[in-house]
Amino acid sequence: MHPAKSYALSASPHTIATFRALVEAIVPNTPELAPFGAEQTIGASELGVQDYMIWELDHTLALFFGMELTNFPLSAPTAGMLNSGAVQLVASGHAQHVPNESLWETSPYSAIAPPDRIRVLAMLEELIVDLGALPPPYRDDGGFVKFIVDYLVRGTMFGHYSEWSAYGTTRLDTPTERRLEHFPIGWRQAGYPGVSLGYRALMGFPLTIVRKGGESTIV
Amino acid sequence: MYDADVIVIGSGGGGAVIAKELGEKGLKVLVLEAGPFYGNKKWQNPNSERGGEWSSSYNDLDVDLYKKTYNSYENNMNDVVSGAFRFGPADRRRDPWHRVMKQKGDIWQVSGVGGTTQHYWSQSPRAFPSAVDGIWPISYRELIPYYEKAEATLPVQFSPTTPKEELFYYGAKKAGWTLIPTLNVDTPGYRPNPNAILRANEHLMDPNYSMEQLSHMEGCTLRGHCVNGCTTGPTMDKIAKRGTLVSYIPLALKTGNVSIRPNSFTIKILTEHDPKEGLRATGVQFRDTWTGEIGELKARTVVMAAGCIESPRLWLNSALPYNAWVGRGLTNHYFDWVGGVFDEKDLMSIMGMPAVYPYVGHTSGARVDIPGIGIFQVSCLSPGLMSFLTYGFSGAGFDAFNPPEPGEPWDMRGRVVGPELKELMMNYSRTMTMLLLTDDEVQFSNRVEVDPLLKDENGPIPIIHYKPSPKTLQRRDQLARYACETLQAAGAKKIIRSDLPTGFLLHLESTMRMGFVVDTNCEAYQVGRLFIADNSVHFNGIGGPNPTLTTQALATRTAEKLAGKYFDQPAEIVK
Ligand SMILES: Cc1cc2nc3c(=O)[nH]c(=O)nc-3n(C[C@H](O)[C@H](O)[C@H](O)COP(=O)(O)OP(=O)(O)OC[C@H]3O[C@@H](n4cnc5c(N)ncnc54)[C@H](O)[C@@H]3O)c2cc1C
Ligand code: SF4
Repeated sequence: MHPAKSYALSASPHTIATFRALVEAIVPNTPELAPFGAEQTIGASELGVQDYMIWELDHTLALFFGMELTNFPLSAPTAGMLNSGAVQLVASGHAQHVPNESLWETSPYSAIAPPDRIRVLAMLEELIVDLGALPPPYRDDGGFVKFIVDYLVRGTMFGHYSEWSAYGTTRLDTPTERRLEHFPIGWRQAGYPGVSLGYRALMGFPLTIVRKGGESTIV
Repeated sequence: MYDADVIVIGSGGGGAVIAKELGEKGLKVLVLEAGPFYGNKKWQNPNSERGGEWSSSYNDLDVDLYKKTYNSYENNMNDVVSGAFRFGPADRRRDPWHRVMKQKGDIWQVSGVGGTTQHYWSQSPRAFPSAVDGIWPISYRELIPYYEKAEATLPVQFSPTTPKEELFYYGAKKAGWTLIPTLNVDTPGYRPNPNAILRANEHLMDPNYSMEQLSHMEGCTLRGHCVNGCTTGPTMDKIAKRGTLVSYIPLALKTGNVSIRPNSFTIKILTEHDPKEGLRATGVQFRDTWTGEIGELKARTVVMAAGCIESPRLWLNSALPYNAWVGRGLTNHYFDWVGGVFDEKDLMSIMGMPAVYPYVGHTSGARVDIPGIGIFQVSCLSPGLMSFLTYGFSGAGFDAFNPPEPGEPWDMRGRVVGPELKELMMNYSRTMTMLLLTDDEVQFSNRVEVDPLLKDENGPIPIIHYKPSPKTLQRRDQLARYACETLQAAGAKKIIRSDLPTGFLLHLESTMRMGFVVDTNCEAYQVGRLFIADNSVHFNGIGGPNPTLTTQALATRTAEKLAGKYFDQPAEIVK
């Protein structure tokens, strides 16, 4: 089986659905931007950024456990944290939209509307949640919750607007094995020309340091 | 028996400098570096196989291998989890080395020969004299000859103007700042950045030279990848951006006296009690990051240059004598980041161009220096990095939930997500961003310590805590106002203040302070023959300027002091 596929399959459907909901809320599909070019409508979930987030969270933490260095995958507990946050938001009566019941069972976080998903992130980072209800390692560890919630937002943006998705079928391989398959969509959306050897853009030198005999003067 | 005169731990901003300086004095130097050695024939596949053990020859350097690794793709290079630039083992299949941080933020340090200077922006300003004189145990004057030497060696030169600098100067002048043509900043004003970047290639504007040709020649081609790894140049030692991997390391190897062992994480400083000298360093224990084997090396003197987190960690994990200030007093310039989105027609009327071209020119090319407050500098990045720094990374939450009070000089503060983010990112090429560096007050409570329970293969892991003082907060807010006023003056249509979180750590300094942990020669008070040559010896945050040049000047000076005290070498630089 293709490694990218086998890796994606190792995460549970709940985890995948939760991360899809996260990245959709941060970098959504935007049909209203179609007049600026078809590529401007594309959102993070279409680029598979949920897989990026899962991969990153599962490859970030290694600690000694007993006598051995052990990897602690964080994607499943992080999805658990978002789902617990969604349940708590709805229970608090602060959700602004009615959740989609058909999705609730797979992932409460994916069942709430995108603006409410952002509200969950805000609640979590402000620690306006029952921290005891979160899964370990987040349970009762507000500092770690703050750190990771902030990471979820910026990680999603880096996944979407960097070249990651353009590694295509190799995007979940070990980084040294990834190969670019096309021009990155996120770069096209930003109007970035890509990696370049240089630009003929010299407009002058306002000041120059001149060195003589161990001393410098400025001209 | 000794293996060398000096062992240097870490080969980044400071370690590479002291290795070269000591090698030039004829001392035998061994450098242990935790991360990979890119661009070296001994390590053909540095991120996937162990390769060799030591490199001692300038001829080992290989620019083609270097360019193969440094491919300038932002995710490949700068992903903090698995990028070629990360703080972790060379083997990219493995996880990075973890640090505990219980606050929002991120620590950007890079392992490998060259250390964090591999992706630094090479801005090389001197300290603000007012942050040193009467405050540090040594004077600014004392530092000047060493600044001169480091600046000439790198070398440092003022940045050229490209569209984004042009726009920055236009705004800065309109906002009332005047040009300060100096390296010793006593009064506020704007200037191009003194950067450790070779002057732009003189043929850059000549269409008879293709870009391909220019990329193999000496001189910057304004390709805007400083943060993602510069590759312009004919040989390793002539790469345009002067991180220590391409500046001091080749010079160190040229002396014939320096050997470098990458993939070697130092886990312990070895000491002995000498009847005359008291407690003194005698060597180190290190762990091979590929095999896990533990080695030991002995030397007459040891230099720690493992950076502001690992130097105190190493001290603590080696059970060196208790000193209340080890790991304490961390400063970080409590960064902020602002961006301005411009209309095409305004840019046309100011510069005759329709965009800011944030991907062109030095990553950071111009600044306003304000002694007593800090610095704001135009700094523009590739879209992945830019998007998260501008719209995704904040201590202020989400803009939509707490919009700014009317009358503030910014239209948005905090993270921007959803459809609004996508619209803003469509304007990437018309957005000018700026990094703000605050004159950060030293606080005893800001610290690096080691976790009582958690360990990795190299021992108890570091815990980092940073909270700005009220004075730092006030200065930073003032700085954000100044920066946004410059954006307004330049005509930005929309201004965003990302209000970066407190734990975004790039300019770590002062965790092993001179006068507290080390003396004015940068030798540890409590352990003889143990010196420090990284950002940690700074007495404070030097007023806000980017810290590395000061570390390099000090490392140059420390080499002289070390050689003078233990190897009877006369000082070269006369004060
Ligand atoms: C994105 C970015 C941009 C920056 N831009 C600028 C700039 O423009 N100008 C500026 O002045 N500064 C800049 N900085 C900061 C600059 O990178 C640091 O000031 C500088 O690298 C610090 O030098 P150092 O020697 O203290 O640490 P480092 O450069 O981090 O070097 C420490 C070295 O020690 C190694 N090491 C750590 N522990 C061990 C161990 N136990 N055993 C063996 N080796 C070990 C590490 O792997 C590393 O190579 C920037 C930083 C970042 C992240
Ligand atoms: S702009 Fe930066 S990356 Fe580009 S050639 Fe110059 S120094 Fe190198």
